[in-house]
Amino acid sequence: MDMAETATRTPVTRSGPSLATKRRIEGWLLVLPAFLLILGLGIYPLLSSLVLSFQRWDLQSQEHPFVGLANYRDALLDVRVWNAFANTGLLVVGAVALEFLLGLGLALLFVGDFRGKRIAMPILILPVMVVPVVVGLTWTMLWDNQFGPINQVLSWIAGHEVNIIWLGHRNTALVAITVTDVWQWTPFMFLILLAALSGVNPELYEAASLDGAGWWQALRDVSLPGIARVIAVVILFRALDAFKIFDLVFMFTQGGPGTSTETISWYIYQLGFKFFRLGYASAVSYIVVILLTIIATLYVARFLRSADT
Amino acid sequence: MTRMDSKPTIDPKHREALESFARARASRRQVLQGAAGLAALGIAGRSRPVVARSAAPSLSPDAISAAQRALRQTADSAQAAVDAANALDPKPAQLNIAWEDQLQLQDPILFSGPLWEELTGIKINPIGKTFADLFPSQVAEHLGATGAYDVLSMVPSWTADFVTQGMVESLDPYIEQYMAPADLDDYHPLYKGLMTYGGQRYGLFDDGDVIILYYRTDLFEDPANKDAFKAQYGHELAAPKDWTEYDEIQAFFTELGGGNTWGGASQRKPGQVYGWFSEEFRNRGGRFFDDGTLDGTLDSEPGIATLTRMIESNKTMPPGVETWDFPQVLAAWMGGQLAMIGGTWPPIGRWSEGTTAEQLSWVPETQVKGKVGYSIMPMGHSLHNAGFSLAVSSDSPNKEAAYLFIQWLTSPTISLQRVMLPYALRDPYRLSHFTSEDYRARWPKAGDYLDTLMAAADGALLDIIMPGSAEYHTAIDQAVTAGMAGTPVEEALATGNAAFNEITDRIGRDNQKTAYENFKALKGSYYS
Repeated sequence: MDMAETATRTPVTRSGPSLATKRRIEGWLLVLPAFLLILGLGIYPLLSSLVLSFQRWDLQSQEHPFVGLANYRDALLDVRVWNAFANTGLLVVGAVALEFLLGLGLALLFVGDFRGKRIAMPILILPVMVVPVVVGLTWTMLWDNQFGPINQVLSWIAGHEVNIIWLGHRNTALVAITVTDVWQWTPFMFLILLAALSGVNPELYEAASLDGAGWWQALRDVSLPGIARVIAVVILFRALDAFKIFDLVFMFTQGGPGTSTETISWYIYQLGFKFFRLGYASAVSYIVVILLTIIATLYVARFLRSADT
Repeated sequence: MTRMDSKPTIDPKHREALESFARARASRRQVLQGAAGLAALGIAGRSRPVVARSAAPSLSPDAISAAQRALRQTADSAQAAVDAANALDPKPAQLNIAWEDQLQLQDPILFSGPLWEELTGIKINPIGKTFADLFPSQVAEHLGATGAYDVLSMVPSWTADFVTQGMVESLDPYIEQYMAPADLDDYHPLYKGLMTYGGQRYGLFDDGDVIILYYRTDLFEDPANKDAFKAQYGHELAAPKDWTEYDEIQAFFTELGGGNTWGGASQRKPGQVYGWFSEEFRNRGGRFFDDGTLDGTLDSEPGIATLTRMIESNKTMPPGVETWDFPQVLAAWMGGQLAMIGGTWPPIGRWSEGTTAEQLSWVPETQVKGKVGYSIMPMGHSLHNAGFSLAVSSDSPNKEAAYLFIQWLTSPTISLQRVMLPYALRDPYRLSHFTSEDYRARWPKAGDYLDTLMAAADGALLDIIMPGSAEYHTAIDQAVTAGMAGTPVEEALATGNAAFNEITDRIGRDNQKTAYENFKALKGSYYS
């Protein structure tokens, strides 16, 4: 009789829970707080809002019937939704492009050593550390047409009085929000790109120099390919973040004048928290999620995978 | 010979333990199923229809007796409320009241809250919210059934939505037992009407926010100005009776000011500019809806004329007025830079004569003390914009105490003190406020001020009071600001109409027709 047979024939006597049961209970107790947190703050709201998106939920009625895809259909036919997407798109493209160009320029400047770099660096990254509401309050004063310095500086440059009502006209309000966003988030781009540039092998620059490459050729053929992946990632991060812009709209214009600065986040906020059209707001939110997921997936496939080649 | 198979051999004494462990680990599918189940429970719970509120409150016989005794002896609703509150058993330790933040909050913090606590032992806990947050925060607490508030601050235009959602208690049973009938009649008729919706009273009115025009009497009475104005425009320089006269006066003083002072200013910033439009629009004969179809009619001739004039008028206001809110208008007025304010709330009239309260240290020092005249808005009907009624939350566990507090707060004796507080934002709303000798003696022209407020209330126009009023007002606001920002007037107002129609269709045309008939029945909906 071998040990295996002995083991199978030896009766096991139990007193209390088995080891496996104890381990199971212990395991659940350890993960329970985190699980409840994720459930409460993540999964429950997600599922709850998904169910809401299939209901008619208005403040003017106490009935909340199931309406299927009606909210989604209405959202896709809602001119305000598309207007909000358009405003958001303009802002994202404009802001992220400027942030990238400025961030890359600053990173190229800072990648080498120079006198005063240690002082300049913290000053440069200050904007990204300022609370967004404070940014909004401060820049509201800067954009003021009567007392704000922006019009004053433009007047000096132009040589005559410049009195642009930045936040009061539909053509300039979105520009003001974009510029403020660029001011706040360029340092983020700068830091990421600086880190990426610092990781490029310096021997590649030496080799390029030996081959007679100038500054522009080195940038085009060594630096940018070397940090292509990082560029793709940071643009994606920043674009997704810019898409959610809310604080500057809240502080500057409240979506006005008219709906000229109404971003999709602001519109959802109005629907859900001002008018309590919870079902419809949920549906619009999910459309945004689906849209961003598709865009991000295509972007990753196009730019992140191709960056390897 | 034992056949070897491909599986590794597991020690049997360990096999059972391993298999038990494997069974004990929940699979990913099980986790998701469990989570979905829990979520579904929560969702199912929240999807239940709101339970209908009980219509008949259970009132304390002892409290009623105490109140009735006080009313027989003093006919004072304030004393009746205090005696009744002291007779409550059990008596709540605290009442939570939703209140507008900052300056408005000073009243319950510094005056009414401590006084009520001294009289009854019930502590008042004011919870301040910005005006923009007041509506959503009160609704959200109700939807979450938190019972966070005992007393609600209810702008009259919110009444329809609050009542539809079952957020507020009918006050008629309480008024019948606790209030002196004469005190109900002491409300100005406009504000008395605003307490009622669908035939029942849901709030006790507490803040008369009628918009009036303020002008500089020193500039208007200056002989040189009078002569020059008459020579240019052919009529006397006086408080404008219509908007043409208003714009003439504004242009005259703006030209005179040379870029340092202006003829007038009005709030134009998105958020509340709908009020200025809706007042002039209805003064010109405009109506929000077609009586038959309930289609929006903002782009009617009165609407186009109103918005066109407003845009034109902006040109002789301070540059950037499109971004001006109440503080900017206040600062310009108090600094002596304006000849008129084209409509604003009553506190500016008091502050123009000087502020002493520490809470008002942010208000610019007045340069216009003793130089202010008051007038009903051009074309004869001022807007009553916002204002507050105090309501009892249907989620409150202390409804009776909450009612007694708001009866005491709004009683003639206590409310008169409150509207005269040096930092008060509560404005006169009782007949006894307007005729108070004490108030009329506050500054030389206080009597004129109160008479103008009362006359304005006599013929005031109301905000839309229908389900979805916040959405309708926002639609007007967006149409007006779009027009001011460069969108053609007809197009801007047509967009407003489309928004109106979408709101009406969503809430239900039949429901809104009934609600609109109720609104039209109110004095102040329309005067033409």
